[in-house]
Formats: sequence, structure tokens, C-alpha cells
Amino acid sequence: MFFLQLRNELWKLFGKKRTYIGFVMFLLAQNIIALVFKFTHASSPMKRMLESAGHAADPFISGLTIATIMLVPVAVFLLPLYVSLVGGDLVAKEAEDGTLRMILSRPISRGRLLAVKWLAGAIFGVVLCVALGVFGLAFAGLYFPWGGLFVWMPEQNIFGVFGANSGLWRYLAAHVMLTTEAVSIMALAFMFSCFNVKPAAATILGLSLVFVSFILEHIPYFADYRDWFFTYHLHLWQLVFADRAPWWRVGQSLSLLAGFNATFFAIGLAVFHTRDIKS
Amino acid sequence: MTKRFGTRVAVDELTLAVPRGEIFGLLGHNGAGKSTAIGMMLGQVWPTAGTVCVCGHDVQRQRRLALAKVGAIFETPACYDYLSGGRNLEIFCQYTAPVSRERLREVVDWVGLGTRIDSRVQTYSHGMRARLALAQALLPRPELLILDEPADGLDPEGMHELRQTILRLHAELGLTLLLSSHLLGEVEQICTRIAVLRQGRMVFEGPLAAAKQSRNWVRLVTDDFVAATQDLEAAGLIGGARDGRYVALTPGVATCAIARRLVESGRPVHELAREEQTLESFYLELMRAGGEEAAGRGDQHPSPLKSENRCPKSE
Repeated sequence: MFFLQLRNELWKLFGKKRTYIGFVMFLLAQNIIALVFKFTHASSPMKRMLESAGHAADPFISGLTIATIMLVPVAVFLLPLYVSLVGGDLVAKEAEDGTLRMILSRPISRGRLLAVKWLAGAIFGVVLCVALGVFGLAFAGLYFPWGGLFVWMPEQNIFGVFGANSGLWRYLAAHVMLTTEAVSIMALAFMFSCFNVKPAAATILGLSLVFVSFILEHIPYFADYRDWFFTYHLHLWQLVFADRAPWWRVGQSLSLLAGFNATFFAIGLAVFHTRDIKS
Repeated sequence: MTKRFGTRVAVDELTLAVPRGEIFGLLGHNGAGKSTAIGMMLGQVWPTAGTVCVCGHDVQRQRRLALAKVGAIFETPACYDYLSGGRNLEIFCQYTAPVSRERLREVVDWVGLGTRIDSRVQTYSHGMRARLALAQALLPRPELLILDEPADGLDPEGMHELRQTILRLHAELGLTLLLSSHLLGEVEQICTRIAVLRQGRMVFEGPLAAAKQSRNWVRLVTDDFVAATQDLEAAGLIGGARDGRYVALTPGVATCAIARRLVESGRPVHELAREEQTLESFYLELMRAGGEEAAGRGDQHPSPLKSENRCPKSE
């Protein structure tokens, strides 16, 4: 029954046109970025940086490098927007449309209903990350040759140069880690969706908290306290591009994100459980 | 059960039993507490005090057992417009139990959706949406069907169709139906028993026939109505009068006794006829009077739940 109900949630989720906004925008953004790199001199600073570090530049101006460059802004700005949109809709939209009242006239418990919905939202987050990775490689591959991976992420003090195979594995690992960001932000918006608010409000509240955390994390004077900020742990996918990935830090962030997710779900469930569902 | 929203009391100490096999009408003005009461019956609204038992099980504590044999339809049929009717049915039904293709086809045919079941719901008319809502309620083979203001927004043909459907559900499937409405004409034509809510309090509960005959009203046309009613009241033949032409007979008094008394007093009687009370006039009287008296009079079948605050083993 649980899997049937989960399948139904996925039907509902992927039956809506707005669910696909994220996929379409990824296509658009990644194509634009790849085209700008292809038809301008935007890759020149990269070449200079590689050459000054003693590497031949051309093997690293590759589809893999461009796909990874595209990943950073999309993961920081677009991904939170689309997972938050879906997370904020999951309960609040059904309450607004009146279908929640139809569902809750059935013998399903509120806890189980939320678990099924949360899981559907998490699956959406994973699918979105997979699409992001596949689209990125596909579109960068259209305009650039296959080759090594060059990564420069000054915020994380990462300057990495990898062979094609090693680079591809890191690219895939980064997307696996990125799913934790997608699921966590979805879970935050989902928590607000369980409150008696409109779907747009749930999405905006979720995104607002992410932005507030991001702002706090980037105030230089708060550097000593950044472990406490939600977004600091969301960036763990960037760590796999380090020469020697700090696995202790990855583990720490993963466990904290698991805690954040459990807390968001527990708060959402507690609020939803006490709510009166009326027309 | 009682439900308060902040300081506002939406439902005030409502004790209600819906006997198996009845078409039970829950009446009341907008805001009387009908939908809140139904919300509590379905476990959607938490009672501030009291318990609700459906099919012998406490809705709050044994939700799965209590609602397994219940179907519900609400005033505005809410569906997933972007999915087909069939997909909607599968989705809603699987919150209760898996449904077979054969059962789905059987119910779709019963409600008359036919080949349109594979079309997207956004292409459905209001009537088709209502049929889809009925189909989703019938799929888990319910014993109790709860309809919250189902006639809202329907045109006369739609209302006629709904009335016929409710009567079919009762006759062919043997369902118990609980219907909330403020459309008295509809209730009068289909319900066998009613309860009336006024500002959250139940002011009448009993068979529809009892409501319509709760007072023996007689239409009296005479030269001086006021003097005639004073005379009849003094003789103990009537218990009240209204609208300058109706008198309520004291129980046990026949119309001929009124006629005899008036003739003997030398008052001309131009017209004297028994008046069957309509549900509307009964309802309006309850709303005007506050209902205390009518509640005492109408509650002829005391609820089995009144004296104990727990679910009975059966019913």
C-alpha cells in the first residue's frame, strides 16, 4: 500500500506542468553558459590560471570542466528555488485546492500521508540533480571536447586538476552529494507547507530561511560560527572536488543535514497533526 | 462533541446518532456548525471535547477501522484536474485500499461516467465532477456515505439527478447516508430523519415525519381571530396561535371540538382546515424560537450515546 500511495504521489507531482519548470530552466541556463564559453573569450582566464600553475591548458578546457563551472551557480541559485517550489506545494497546494480534505476523509493517518509526500518530494530532488548532471555534461559536451577536469572554487580553497576518468567520478560524486542539498531545502519548504499557509508562502518562507542562512554564513565576522549555519552544510558537494576530500567534514555535514531533515519533518508533522482541515 | 475555534463555539455539546439504513439530514443555517460536525466525524477537525464513533470505532483513536467503510463528498468536488478521471479514482481509493480494474469499471458505469473516465478532469462539466466525486466515495464499498452540502452550485437538473442518485444509493446499495444541507426542499424529499443545528447547538433530532407533524396546526378563518383564540385557549382547546390565522391544537383535541366551541360561542366559522406543517415552516419556527421547546418535543428517539462517552460495540 505504501508503494502504491508513493506512486500516486509521484503521479500527482509529475502530472503538474509546474514541476518541469526547473528542468526547462536548467536546459536554458546550461545552454546559455556553454554557448557564452564557446563563442567568447570567457575561458581565457582559466587558461592563464592553468598555465601559470604549470599545466597545459587545452586538455582541461573540456566538456567536464564547463559542466562543473555551470554546476556552481545553478546549484546555489536555481536548484533551491525549484525544490522549494515543489516542497512548498506538496501539502499547502492540496489544502488550498480542497483535495486534502478528500484525502483525509480516507483512513490514512496524517503521519503516513506526510511520509509519502516527503518521500515523493525527495525523489523529485534526486531526479532534478540527476537531470542537472546529465544536462550539464550533454550540453557542455556538444560544444567542448572530452578531457580532464579543472576546478577552481576559491571559497572552499579548491584548485583541482584531474584526469578525465577521475574528473568524471568526482563530477558524479558531487551530484550524489548535491541531492542532500536538494532534499534538505525541499524538506524545509515542506515543513512550512504543513502549516496553515498558502503554497507560495511556504515556498517563500523556505527560500527566505536559506537566504538568511547564506547571508549569515558570508558575513566575515561570523566565520567562527559558520558551522551553525544550515547553508554551510549544504555546500558539502563542493568538497569532493578537493585534491584530498575532507571526509570527516563530509560526514559531519551529512549527519547534521540528516538532523535538520528529521527536525523539519518532526515540526511539520506536529503542526499538521494538530491542524483542523476545513474547506 | 464540542468544538471551539478560539473563543467561538462552532459546535456545542452535540450528541447525535445516525441509525444504520437512514437517510439522515443535518440541517442548519450557514455557520451553524454542520461542516465542522462532519469534519469531526471524518477525523479532519479535532473535537475540543467528546468523541466520535463511526461504524463502532473511535475516529480519533482507530481512524483506519472507523473510516474503512466510509465515503465522503464535499460541496465543491475537488479533484486533480490535470489527471484523468480514472487516475483520480485510483489515487483517492488507494488511500483506503487497492482497487481492481473490474471494481473501477463497475463504479464508473454505475455513476454513468462511461468513456469519459479516461479524459482529463479539467474537461469535465460540474455534473461530471460531481459524478466522479461520487465514484471515488463508492469505490471502497462504503456502508456510510457522508455528503456535505452536495447540492451547492448545482442547476435544477443537477439537483434532480443528485436526489435520484441518493435515493438509488439507499435503495440499491443499502447505504446509510448523512447529508448536510440548508436546502430544505431537497432534505424534505429524500431524508427519513433529521437533526437541526442552530448556532452550534442541536435544536431538533427525530424522524422527518415528526418534524412535519410536531404541531397540529389548523387554519382558522373567523370574524375576530384574536377573540376566538382567547376563547379557545381559555377552554384549553389550543396551545397557541400564529400569523392571525393558524391555531395549534392541544394534543388529543380534534378539529370538530374547535368548530363546536366556536359555533356555541356564536362566532362564525368561515374556514377550518388541518394544516400539515412543511419542513420549511418547522425549521423557521425553530430558528425563531431558539429551539429549546422544539428540541424537547422532537427528540423522540434518545441517542444511545447520550449517557456514555465511548463507542458502542456495534452500529
